[in-house]
Amino acid sequence: MTDSDFQSLPPTRRDFLRQLAAAGAAVTLAPYFLAPSFAEARETAAAGAMETALSPVPAGPEAVDVTLTINGAKQTLKLDPRVSLLDALRERLNLTGSKKGCDHGQCGACTVLVNGRRINSCLSLAVTHEGDEVITIEGLAQGNELHPVQSAFIKHDGFQCGYCTPGQICSAVACIAEGHTKHDDEIREWMSGNLCRCGAYPNIVAAINEAKGQPQPALKRQLSSVS
Amino acid sequence: MTNTLVGKPVDRVDGRLKVTGGARYSAEFNAAGLLHAALVLSTVSKGKITAIDTAAAEAAPGVRSVLTHRNAPKLKEPKPDFANGGGIRNEERIPLSDDKIGYGGQYVALVVADTFERAAHAASLVRVSYAAEPPELNKEQASATKRKPKENDQGEKTQLKKGDVAAALADASLVKIEATYETPTETHNPMEPSATVAMWEGEDRLVVFDATQYVKGTQDVVAQAFGLQRAQVRVICPFVGGGFGCKGAVWPHTILAAMAAKVVKAPVKLSLSRHAMFSGTGHRTPTTQKVALAASRDGKLHAIRHHVETLMSPFGEFVETCGARSTGVMYASPAIEVEETLYEVNVAPPTFMRAPGECPGTYALECALDELSYALKMDPVALRLANHADNHPFKNKPFSAKHLKEAYALGAEKFGWSRRKPEPRAMRDGPLLVGWGMATATYPGYKMNAEAKARLNADGTARVQCATHDLGTGAYTIFTQISAQTLGVPLEKVTFELGSSDLPFGPVAGGSNSTATVGSAIYDAAQDLHNQLIALAVLDPQSPLRGLNPGDVALAAPGQLGSKSQPAKTDSFAEILRRAGKEFVEGEARMKPESKEAPPFEFQSFGAHFVEVKIDPAVPRVQVSRVVSVMNCGQIINPKTARSQVLGGVIMGIGMALEEETVYDPPTGLPVTRNLADYHVPVNADAPSVEAYFVGEPDYHFNPLGARGLGEIGITGAAAAVANAVFHATGQRVRDLPITPDKLLI
Repeated sequence: MTDSDFQSLPPTRRDFLRQLAAAGAAVTLAPYFLAPSFAEARETAAAGAMETALSPVPAGPEAVDVTLTINGAKQTLKLDPRVSLLDALRERLNLTGSKKGCDHGQCGACTVLVNGRRINSCLSLAVTHEGDEVITIEGLAQGNELHPVQSAFIKHDGFQCGYCTPGQICSAVACIAEGHTKHDDEIREWMSGNLCRCGAYPNIVAAINEAKGQPQPALKRQLSSVS
Repeated sequence: MTNTLVGKPVDRVDGRLKVTGGARYSAEFNAAGLLHAALVLSTVSKGKITAIDTAAAEAAPGVRSVLTHRNAPKLKEPKPDFANGGGIRNEERIPLSDDKIGYGGQYVALVVADTFERAAHAASLVRVSYAAEPPELNKEQASATKRKPKENDQGEKTQLKKGDVAAALADASLVKIEATYETPTETHNPMEPSATVAMWEGEDRLVVFDATQYVKGTQDVVAQAFGLQRAQVRVICPFVGGGFGCKGAVWPHTILAAMAAKVVKAPVKLSLSRHAMFSGTGHRTPTTQKVALAASRDGKLHAIRHHVETLMSPFGEFVETCGARSTGVMYASPAIEVEETLYEVNVAPPTFMRAPGECPGTYALECALDELSYALKMDPVALRLANHADNHPFKNKPFSAKHLKEAYALGAEKFGWSRRKPEPRAMRDGPLLVGWGMATATYPGYKMNAEAKARLNADGTARVQCATHDLGTGAYTIFTQISAQTLGVPLEKVTFELGSSDLPFGPVAGGSNSTATVGSAIYDAAQDLHNQLIALAVLDPQSPLRGLNPGDVALAAPGQLGSKSQPAKTDSFAEILRRAGKEFVEGEARMKPESKEAPPFEFQSFGAHFVEVKIDPAVPRVQVSRVVSVMNCGQIINPKTARSQVLGGVIMGIGMALEEETVYDPPTGLPVTRNLADYHVPVNADAPSVEAYFVGEPDYHFNPLGARGLGEIGITGAAAAVANAVFHATGQRVRDLPITPDKLLI
């Protein structure tokens, strides 16, 4: 494996993976120091400079063009029509924050915001999103400034393994925007499409209660461009 | 040493990565030229493959290879030595090694293509013909395979006996309870499906990104399978999306991904579907547990008999150890008999699932105790206090730092237990029946072997390493805290590294051992590092510590060594390194296996759950409305993450009590509940408010940090407390989990 294998990745990621790949050398895994690189990746995406594929992904003769906006950046993709929105994000755009937990719309780990509404991206074919505005977990923070829901999840320990977390947070952002957060039982009901096997539910409810009273700047700013 | 960090509710150090989507899980290591694999699962549970037609799949667009038992490379059957740092296998069979089918869902083919969609489509084109036989799925059908294992996979005794149980059970003057409790097959279902990305560098070097609770174990088993040295295989897993036991062993998909990558000479990603997770990565075996109790009127137990029947697969023995791990440690009774019986069925291999043994075992024992409390007309807490075990029932040694009585007392107080009306159906909330139940929790203090390396840099930063894992337990965070405190370096200056086989040895993240094991290794590595700094200082003519006996010098404050006898004499890490002209100093620790001489204490954690349920009698769906759990686990390193572990255990216990069951189709043996719509895990609306408290003191007999792990104890006793609350609410004793509404309609 060589450095060039990872050229499609944003630079800081490439550096990280180069470290991982350094044959024979002790790996330096300091994942929590990667947070800024993450923000950088989002900025890169916003500038429209992010490469759209990890490597040339064959789309087949039946490929369909689709143009959509992801985290503020317009993307034109040539896709096998069977590609779900989730797989387009994860496998074609390297936006792996959205998770695949069941691929059947049963767990909510893949929740993203499409035109401001939360959907299960695994249940939605990417080519049906022509012209849509998609916000993923990678698009919630503004630079290094976390979205209030993200901060509240950290403060209240609203996750353990972290795998359902991007979906929980996207869902929570929408849940607050929908006004389905009047009391604990309402939050529990409207967050029940997002499974958490670690059982962080009481902490998720606490995090949403904390975040709901705060201004939701990031979401508003990004959705303001949605007509 | 001043305590500045251990015991503090520090936010997770990996929290920012997890809330921004930046934490990378195994399926997310995408390399250029990556190919995607899709599995074909057996649709029969017993028999032989007679033919496989792969022509259509091979001709499908983008397909690079279709592997079956006919063309798969022959690998070596790994024989890992777990006791000496080797891996774990629960399926002791190389995938695609022959035409035999032992269980439904067994992998019979693997398709590799250039995209996920093309691989999945081509896999659907593979046609497999079988000579199928009727599968044996339960103990009645598999009666010919009945056996009583002497030991479990960890060498613990499974059959226990002391005193005269039969005599006590025949004594007409004693109050007796005899009942059979059943738990169904439960499937872990971590949110992250298991996944492996495998890439070869030439013929003899392999890199594996694998969702595992044990990178060193995966390294060992994969290396053996391919005839490589361990150093030729690198296993990397910085984040695990939950495991609960199902990512502890090396399962066939990991070997298959590496096999496929070798065949197609390109990186291959194999992510399991949720469906495949129901047969591909283990489950908790169903249990049938017959419990008999005999007690005198004052509540004192005279005998406990606990007979357990569980199931295993044709491809490797696994004992759930329900009896020895619950009845074997819990109460002081002069006579105890524990029996464990195994049957071999055509179901995929079971494995450890959060508190294997203790979890179903405490369900049966603690429900039986509850039944006894009604028979004696005695408060359930008082009954347990009457049988409190100061000493281990079989080892005649005292438990170290056991504070169970305080746990009962605090739990009862926080819950308001004294307001409980003892009779069933006596408490109401409007039209709803209200039930209050309780149960005892227990889990051993396990410690394994680990190595750690600590480096202190001249700029004041530190890096500490161990090939351990963070399954969501908070390992990154607590080991950063422990590193910072033991080294005497500020938290934000410490990087703790885990999740790579390149790091010093770390054990499987299982058995709630990591805090005690890895924490102790970090402690020792920090001591080693300090010793080197001390050696530099006392020999340095410019140091205020010059000439002192090294034994008189120790960490005095963060970043500072000082003399114990002359506290005014101190020197800083930075100055010692600067004057010595060193960029860094490194310490390391290799924890050896425990000495053969047994310690004078037994290390076992205990706790208590108090549960309130509310049930509409017209539609008897059980809602758990309130839980108070009190645990005694020695020193709590981080109250925030510790509380989350208990919450998670309790909520998984609620799922066990009320919802979870993997059902197999009798004619085919295939799991019917094989997705998250049919296999119900608790959702947010099922989760009550849970209060978690900790009692007791650091257990310094166990390790220098005084900590006993707490990843599993929260689930033990939880299902029993719910079931006991359901009885209190309804007067109906449901003895087969899960307690679904239909079972309360009778």
